[in-house]
Amino acid sequence: MDTRLTILRLASNLAAHATTRTEVVTENIAHADTPGYRARDLADFSETLREGPAFAARMTLPGHIDFGADGRGFEAIEATAFGAETPNGNTVSLEDQMMRSADARQSHDLALGVYRKTMDILRSGLGRN
Amino acid sequence: MDEISRTMKAAASGMAAQSARLRLSSENIANADTPGYRRKIVSFEATMLSRDDDRVVATGPVRLDQSELLRIYDPSHPLAGEDGYYDGSNVNMMIEIADAREANRSYEANLKMFEQARQMAGSLLDLLRR
Repeated sequence: MDTRLTILRLASNLAAHATTRTEVVTENIAHADTPGYRARDLADFSETLREGPAFAARMTLPGHIDFGADGRGFEAIEATAFGAETPNGNTVSLEDQMMRSADARQSHDLALGVYRKTMDILRSGLGRN
Repeated sequence: MDEISRTMKAAASGMAAQSARLRLSSENIANADTPGYRRKIVSFEATMLSRDDDRVVATGPVRLDQSELLRIYDPSHPLAGEDGYYDGSNVNMMIEIADAREANRSYEANLKMFEQARQMAGSLLDLLRR
């Protein structure tokens, strides 16, 4: 039996996306009052799924500049809510970030739910509860 | 799990920065009537943004607001000069209160994100429990 089920892989990718997104949103919130800071967010999971992992630069020397996506292919790009820019150049809107974090939280719960359910089905397929 | 610990680190740095700001704000309010006191201000800065390093926030150096001190007329004051005026502080209560309120709000937002990261880690570990 193939133990690398597509649905499990998908669920764990979604969970990883949600976790990375939470990280990005938390950074935005930590910088809510930093002058000149631009809010960032990840591309939607569906987009990442459709287009494959984003371009990532490989660092072969410690002095290389780190840019592009991270190891999993998630890239944080600038994302600003309409009218969130303040005169000091900061584009973080706390309300907007709250929405995004709730969204990420929901995706994470969904992914873990699917994962657990699939494991339950496998388990009952094996005749155990 | 790596992302979650980085998330917590970012949220914690945000809380530290906001509480530093809140502390300066209350120092300013406490010294609102101290003659010659200049209000303290601090700026927020992003620390280095390499991915292995964390994108956390830190407070810059504390500076003194160089705007003009309030001249107060009170000839009986021990510090009053020939003309009866002495230098008050340049603390504006309204600004300090607004600043403190904003710091409070941002602190709570950071705390909420910390809580969320903790819960996400918890539910992830729950998967292992069965």
